[in-house]
Amino acid sequence: MTPRYELFDHTADIGIRAFAPSLATLIAPSTEGLYAVIGDVVAAGDSHPWRFEAAGDDTSLLLRDYLAEVLLLFDTEHRRLTGLSVAEFTAQRLCVTAGAQPVDAPRSVLQREVKAVTYHALAIRPVNGGLEATFIVDI
Amino acid sequence: MSDAYTGPLERVDASRWRIPKSYKPQMRVDGLIYAGDELMKTVRTDKSLEQVANVACLPGIVAHSLAMPDIHWGYGFCIGGVAATDPERDGVISPGGVGYDINCGVRLVRTDLTLPEVQPRIQQIVTDLFDTVPCGVGRGGRIKFDRGQLRRIMAEGSRFVVGEGFGWPSDLEMTEAGGSLPDANPDFVSKRAFERGEDQCGTLGSGNHFLEVQVVEEIADLQAAAAFGLALGQITLMIHSGSRGLGYQVCDDALLELRHVPQKYGIELPDRQLVCAPVNSPEGERYLGAMRSAANFAWANRQILTYLAREVFAGLFKRSAESLGMRLVYDVAHNIAKMEPYEVEGQRRMLCVHRKGATRAFPPGHPEVPQAYRHVGQPVLVPGDMGRSSWVLVGQPAAMEQTFGSCCHGAGRVMSRSAAIRAAKGRFIDKELLARGVVARARERTGLAEEQPEAYKDVGLVAEAVQAAGIAKKVARLRPLGVIKG
Repeated sequence: MTPRYELFDHTADIGIRAFAPSLATLIAPSTEGLYAVIGDVVAAGDSHPWRFEAAGDDTSLLLRDYLAEVLLLFDTEHRRLTGLSVAEFTAQRLCVTAGAQPVDAPRSVLQREVKAVTYHALAIRPVNGGLEATFIVDI
Repeated sequence: MSDAYTGPLERVDASRWRIPKSYKPQMRVDGLIYAGDELMKTVRTDKSLEQVANVACLPGIVAHSLAMPDIHWGYGFCIGGVAATDPERDGVISPGGVGYDINCGVRLVRTDLTLPEVQPRIQQIVTDLFDTVPCGVGRGGRIKFDRGQLRRIMAEGSRFVVGEGFGWPSDLEMTEAGGSLPDANPDFVSKRAFERGEDQCGTLGSGNHFLEVQVVEEIADLQAAAAFGLALGQITLMIHSGSRGLGYQVCDDALLELRHVPQKYGIELPDRQLVCAPVNSPEGERYLGAMRSAANFAWANRQILTYLAREVFAGLFKRSAESLGMRLVYDVAHNIAKMEPYEVEGQRRMLCVHRKGATRAFPPGHPEVPQAYRHVGQPVLVPGDMGRSSWVLVGQPAAMEQTFGSCCHGAGRVMSRSAAIRAAKGRFIDKELLARGVVARARERTGLAEEQPEAYKDVGLVAEAVQAAGIAKKVARLRPLGVIKG
């Protein structure tokens, strides 16, 4: 299964489904799906190291918490993650490192303000020899 | 897999429907939905009725889990949902019953200008508003506040920014709660929330937020319209925005902090987006203190947007905003939780009223209605869509008896954002709107496509439904002339 994402309809908001062969490889398409809802987010310039690490007991909640941090970074520092590396993703722990690169505003097309990554319909489940993550963002 | 509701739904009368509490074992009260036949056809197609049933499971909920005619699928609560909980009977506060955009709301400014004065200049007015009012994704405000000022904005709301010169004292009188909720506690607002909102006080945002120039096209209640200062052919401004990134983060922080709180208090929930805490608990009080801070931020935000719009009109018409009669008619929240007293089983009780996409609608004589409007009731502002109209309603006594003083907040979406974009493919929404007499400006074409008129229910049907139920009465219909969106 090749990692990929798709957007789906929700009455007032937008849903994202990400597909990948494993938990660790779900992170990249989920992240790209979130950026795709915001628009065409182009990064350029010097990046600084970024790290997310959290403990828990539910993979879907760990994924949501990670995506909420990605959104916060975009909103407060106007930075986009590049070069994602997932050190660990289990039900007990998620650890992601990446570069946080400035958003190139003139080259980006920012279409939507994402308020939050919600808990509504949040899930990670097995499909066709891989995994599917589902989450809905509030617009 | 269909999203359509398949549970029980009983007709109560021409404007109300019931979901009996026997539907789910956890339901503590019935669900009660306000909608006519036509609206109910679309309501049944998504999961919003299931959400009404889920909210009925919240501890301490009183009377009914309510939904207004603009109901649509949200997360946790439906949009258009109202729930009152009794803190003295284990009642809870749920951030999902307020939403991410805390104190998203609407304000209406009237003017002495008339259609013949404004119509020939509407292109310039919209251009100047678009250039002056910060809007769109990632746009910071023109007016900067330091951390100390931000804390005062959160503690004092509109009162602080009016004191700084961004409005008139009469604006406060015409704002729900005077634009300042007591017991706000900025100490409960995280550093992250501060950072997310620090340059956003005085920004419109994107999505369905807008600033619209309108003309009063129909008067349905002469007495109430006169009290509100509205007359046929008159120009008004409507502003729809909220607490911006600060409020989103306050909600997100609360949902994280409350994640394990239901287990602590032995609360079982059908949906984790409904996470909650007893109102009278340290966790509940912490959320309420932060939520009120974000609500005050939102009122200050709409106050500064009003200031910027007044500046634009004063500049274009070479007269002061005062001499143009740009008086605030009213400002109402539609995403909020407030402590309000109601009669329950013959006793006066202080309830925690959640309004998630629902507007307060107090009737004539209520002490919280401004003195100038007390003989007619509180203005209820119901924006429609960019191409049709918006309504000014007025609260009626049945709202106090049936809906905890609550009413609808808008038209309600009927088309998803993706479906709206598909429907707009190959079309130019701005040109279509222009053909209908509306000048529209937005940062991105996508925004106009997603917010096209066809994406919304007919607000006229929503207004009819609440009037038929007796919870509000039509006062005036406003037709858009120009709109700016993020």
